[in-house]
Amino acid sequence: MSQTVLSISGLRATVEGKEILKGVDLQVAQGEIHALMGPNGSGKSTLAYTLMGHPKYVVTGGSVTFGGEDLLPLTADARARLGLFLCFQYPTAIPGVSTVNFLRAALRAQGKEMPAREFLNRLSTEMKELKIDESFRSRYINDGFSGGEKKRMEILQLAMLRPKLAILDETDSGLDVDALRTVADGVMRLCGPDMGVLVITHYPRILEHLHPDRVHVLHDGRVVTSGGADLARQIEREGYEPILGTAVAATA
Amino acid sequence: MTTPLTDSPAAALGQAVAAARAEVSPAWLAARRRIAWDAYEAMPMPSSQRDEDWRRTDIAALHPERFTPIDHVDAAVVDAMRAQRDGAAPTAAFVIDSPVAAPIEGADTLHAQGIIITTLEEAALVHPELVQRAFSSVRADESKFVALWNALWRGGVFVYVPRGVEALAPVWIAHPAGGDGHAVFPSTVVVLDEGAALTVIDAYASPTGPAALLSDAMVILSAARDARLDYNTVQQWGEGVWHIGLQRAVLDANAKLRFMGVTLGARLQKVWWEVLLEGVGSEADVLGICFGDGTQHFDHQSLQAHVGPETRSNLLLKVAVRDHARSVYGGMIDVAPTAVHADGYVANRNLLLSQGAKADSIPRLEIRANDVKCGHGATAGHVDADQRFYLMARGVPPEEASALIVRGFMDDVLDRIPHRGFAELAGTLLDAEIAGGSVTGVAAQAS
Ligand SMILES: Nc1ncnc2c1ncn2[C@@H]1O[C@H](COP(=O)(O)OP(=O)(O)O)[C@@H](O)[C@H]1O
Ligand SMILES: [Mg+2]
Repeated sequence: MSQTVLSISGLRATVEGKEILKGVDLQVAQGEIHALMGPNGSGKSTLAYTLMGHPKYVVTGGSVTFGGEDLLPLTADARARLGLFLCFQYPTAIPGVSTVNFLRAALRAQGKEMPAREFLNRLSTEMKELKIDESFRSRYINDGFSGGEKKRMEILQLAMLRPKLAILDETDSGLDVDALRTVADGVMRLCGPDMGVLVITHYPRILEHLHPDRVHVLHDGRVVTSGGADLARQIEREGYEPILGTAVAATA
Repeated sequence: MTTPLTDSPAAALGQAVAAARAEVSPAWLAARRRIAWDAYEAMPMPSSQRDEDWRRTDIAALHPERFTPIDHVDAAVVDAMRAQRDGAAPTAAFVIDSPVAAPIEGADTLHAQGIIITTLEEAALVHPELVQRAFSSVRADESKFVALWNALWRGGVFVYVPRGVEALAPVWIAHPAGGDGHAVFPSTVVVLDEGAALTVIDAYASPTGPAALLSDAMVILSAARDARLDYNTVQQWGEGVWHIGLQRAVLDANAKLRFMGVTLGARLQKVWWEVLLEGVGSEADVLGICFGDGTQHFDHQSLQAHVGPETRSNLLLKVAVRDHARSVYGGMIDVAPTAVHADGYVANRNLLLSQGAKADSIPRLEIRANDVKCGHGATAGHVDADQRFYLMARGVPPEEASALIVRGFMDDVLDRIPHRGFAELAGTLLDAEIAGGSVTGVAAQAS
């Protein structure tokens, strides 16, 4: 049994005064692939942002450790430097900051700088794997990118930064079948003993590529049930209703 | 008769100096200088109370009579400026705007092409018709500081590119200043004849530090039919400098101007960037960046005057202000009845980096022709929190994230500068400003 990399217990958080996370419990072991599912509005993105340290999301209770360290007092940049990575559901455009400059700044900040040649070679290789055109190197980050291009750019950053744990927030949404395969293959290539993944999705489709070790269902700010890969298949067949029905009945 | 300006014992800006300047000038210029001096004396100092043009820029603390016209060149500043030329445009001729004779460096290629590069004073004697042609676009008495410049300028730089000649190298003009309590009257006059092409870099600098200096500057650019002028300017005065300047370009038929202004220094600056699109089909792209911090005050006034038909102009000024710095921008597109099918756009984008920083922006259109396409835009905002979070989520510390965003905001302009060496220099200077606290000017010891 490998070590726990992420441990969340009783996590509560509010956004603009409204409580969204109402006591989340979740453990991810080093190198494992976990899926976090749940209907729209259940709080999945809120959990992702709260873990990453977005200032808008205010923690009101519970605790989170990452690699054994208390995550909650740290600013987002410090969390990233510990090895936490968030693939944004809606990546932000930063006009004027080129992809290359952005990646160099990120690598430098994380103490993962490499010689210019090695950097460009690696970038080139990763871009080919993800079928991203060379021209994107000098384009401003996410500026005018299509939805699919943004998602691939997130995976490119993941590939360059090699974190300990990657949270993928609906990285599959808005992708066509081919793009989904490219992105999923990219993630599968990267994960292993050194990198675990928490995949947030409300479609089980991506899980056919990623083969999660565990599946959790979030509902109304709490993890209401967890299981193996077959839980995702059950959701695929029957939807959330039967699960949430029993879960709600169980807590009632 | 004594003048009201000579009430301070140290004062040297006065009738005596103006008279001495007139004495060494050819008759036409001496007459112009006298008219200018009289006008200067007759006009009150601009007031933020009385003058709409100066409402947001207060120069009540500026007393021109307390500054002595500079009579030397600061070698250390010139060295620092030359080093910038070496890095950004090694092939460029290097010309120093100096009150005393200074050799022109690296101009052999340009001279061999028949291009004239000399002091404005010399040109006024030897090529009076060329200088008069350029001066005809600026009235000697059109404002207090224009009049003062006309009365007292000395040295100066004059460049003339003959018909059909495309300069094989840029001209780098250095306007240095140093010491304390000095006044400088930086002067650049560039005349391009029909079909000529030239790149100019026009640089102002003084040492880092609080020394009080007054810079009353003039730039006159004249492009004849089909000429192409790429004009770049960088203002890097130290923290104690008052900088007031007029930069006016006149374009004949199908002439094209690319203008890039980089504003970083000075305690207070008020400049006018004006383009007069007189000839049919003439075009001007005006770009600018400005970074301010501490208590710096910047005032940019732009004019895109469409006179000829089918003229096109586009102006974009990006400003980032931090601490208690303040930016004032006024931009006017003026379309004369003759300017049918004119196409003009003016935009000013401001990034506020501190709660205490402020930016005012007033773009205006005055359209007196039919069938034109004109527009304007102005924005001001703080660093976007989502952009900052996105960078931080990749491990970038908050200060560096802000710096990257500011640099990115400006790179959108820098990426469009044709002269890449100048763009890189501007980027380097900008990075130093962003990183370095409220220090401006060049690292040089006043000699
Ligand atoms: N920035 C925000 N401001 C206000 N409400 C928010 C914000 N972010 C999320 N919410 C609310 O929190 C709830 C959960 O949203 P979210 O975490 O995005 O759900 P999911 O990702 O599971 O679809 C929703 O009711 C949503 O409206
Ligand atoms: Mg979501």
